[in-house]
Amino acid sequence: MRRDWEAFSFHLAIGVIAVLALILLVAPTAIVLIVSFTSGFSLRFPPPGYSLRWYVALWDAWQLHFAAMNSLKVAAWATFLSVVLGTLAGLGISRSSRLSAKLMDGLFMSPLILPALAFGLSSLMFFSALGLPVSPLTLIIGHTVVCVPYVVRNTVAALSQLDPTLLECSASLGAGKVYTFRRITLPLIRPGILAGGFIAFMSSFDNVPVSLFLRDAATDMLPIRMWQDLEGKLDVTIAALSGVLIVFTIALIMVMERFTGLSRRLA
Amino acid sequence: MQTASNETQGTASGGRALVVDAVTHRYGSSTAVENINLDIRAGELVALLGPSGCGKTTLLRIIAGFIRQTEGRIILGDEVVDDLGPNRRRIGIVFQNYALFPHLSIAENVAYGPAAQGIGKAEREAETKRLLELVKLGHLADRLPRQLSGGQQQRVALARALAIKPRILLLDEPFAALDKNLRLDMQIEIKRLQRLSGITTVMVTHDQEEALSMADRVAVLSQGRLEQFAAPTQIYDRPDSLFVNTFVGTANQLSGQVLASDGDMATIRLDAGAELRARSPGGVLASGQRCTVCLRPEHLEMTDDPAGFAAVVEMGLPLGATVVHEVRGADGAGIKVSEPRRAGTALRATGTPVRVRPLSPDLATAYPA
Ligand SMILES: Nc1ncnc2c1ncn2[C@@H]1O[C@H](COP(=O)(O)OP(=O)(O)OP(=O)(O)O)[C@@H](O)[C@H]1O
Ligand SMILES: [Mg+2]
Repeated sequence: MRRDWEAFSFHLAIGVIAVLALILLVAPTAIVLIVSFTSGFSLRFPPPGYSLRWYVALWDAWQLHFAAMNSLKVAAWATFLSVVLGTLAGLGISRSSRLSAKLMDGLFMSPLILPALAFGLSSLMFFSALGLPVSPLTLIIGHTVVCVPYVVRNTVAALSQLDPTLLECSASLGAGKVYTFRRITLPLIRPGILAGGFIAFMSSFDNVPVSLFLRDAATDMLPIRMWQDLEGKLDVTIAALSGVLIVFTIALIMVMERFTGLSRRLA
Repeated sequence: MQTASNETQGTASGGRALVVDAVTHRYGSSTAVENINLDIRAGELVALLGPSGCGKTTLLRIIAGFIRQTEGRIILGDEVVDDLGPNRRRIGIVFQNYALFPHLSIAENVAYGPAAQGIGKAEREAETKRLLELVKLGHLADRLPRQLSGGQQQRVALARALAIKPRILLLDEPFAALDKNLRLDMQIEIKRLQRLSGITTVMVTHDQEEALSMADRVAVLSQGRLEQFAAPTQIYDRPDSLFVNTFVGTANQLSGQVLASDGDMATIRLDAGAELRARSPGGVLASGQRCTVCLRPEHLEMTDDPAGFAAVVEMGLPLGATVVHEVRGADGAGIKVSEPRRAGTALRATGTPVRVRPLSPDLATAYPA
């Protein structure tokens, strides 16, 4: 009896904590989604009534469209460069057990740990010392630096799970290094690389600190635009945009989960 | 059955297929394999047998080209292959964990080698089909490796290795991962395929029964050294060293002193009393020297012959076709004597005094103590 009670209270406590955590995580998202359907003019919750008017307004908000296109373009470029460079770096790091490889690993990871604002400021100073004005190019370079760790990490993790006897076996069957890479290594680590690329894309897409320093006046980025709109007039269009972004992200996660087992890789 | 078929191009039947010439390998300062010499004939199945850590895998990996030996040469057919990478040696390997490519189907796994070598699609597919039929897996060609049982996976690994028409086949602990019944099936199966294709095969194992039952010749290794390289019966009946004598099969060890030594026979006085003649491999014993005499339980008999040494029966164990008696000699040494059991005969009672002698002198072997 006593044991039953202990087990029950234990499970109850765990359950309550889990539900609280879930509420904290999900509630804000849910509230934004609900508010985005308001028929009123403010971000008040609960809304006085429901309508699609803010989504219609979003359709016409060309400034947001412009910023979103910029963000998508920069994120696509940063992801592409991160995947190429990060995969190569991951291959190099995991093949070598030398100290220099460990140091390189640490170096590639450092953007994750360094305050992004400090990195933004220092790279701005670096580029101006080189005589490079801020431009979409500097922006993409900056984003790539902060996104590459995700790809490196996932590639190294995928490679460490790769059974080295598979590579030996491939060699013994007459395959050269390139053939082995193309038919064995790459297909087996591809889900890891894709998962890294996905996270890199998402983190570039909503990056604020690096964009703040490295964009030029003409390159409006979506997260910054959204913040400015909210700051000025508590615009409900932003809630509708958040709704779109949330749905878009969930869909993307589901696709990635299907192809790469994303959640297992992040665990 | 020694005829080489088209599987063994490049190795003339009866000729040498593989020579391991004075190979030594050191990992840093520790020596894993020391001065190994093996001369393997085409079509032979050779087992590398030895306890854990004796250097079997190291030697196999040197032959395959995955590690470069510190000293010595590997010769395949007439070709010294030391400077060829593993992908250019044309050696088929079945790895202990099979190492099937998890993302490729069974047929793609088998076709991998020919594809890597640029062999055309039609020829590749015909060969894959033939090999899958050979290992009786034609119906599973489209499955993925993880959908197969352990024994089936091993057969795929074998077919994949044979697909490159290898000059020799290497098997690393091929049966270690299989359960007992399946192991026997696969041993027979691999022996059958090896005979059928006539392919020279080197197999690593630490299971002496497996080595003795499957191999044409067995190389016994201990601490990186080659102890003996001979046919299984020779290894068992005429072991060259105390290590081989005790590692392969069971042996009673009796201590004694050499009275006289003539060539490769010696006369020995056992501490348990009695004199006997024994083989002395290499003729290394000198008279007066202390020695260890090994006698297999089934090479001993209990008689009334006063030339045998005196012992007292401690226990009798009927084991179906044989009966094993544990007897104790005058010097306190425990000795096992195994005899065929005749139906109806009683076990010897505990405490019965008996005389024990070898069935014939050349079945006793003496080594320096
Ligand atoms: N990569 C390595 N670096 C250093 N020492 C090694 C390495 N691989 C093996 N050794 C050592 O070399 C010796 C022989 O190893 P090997 O793996 O060849 O033994 P084995 O006969 O295959 O043993 P087992 O039956 O346990 O597989 C061992 O003492 C082992 O510790
Ligand atoms: Mg081994």
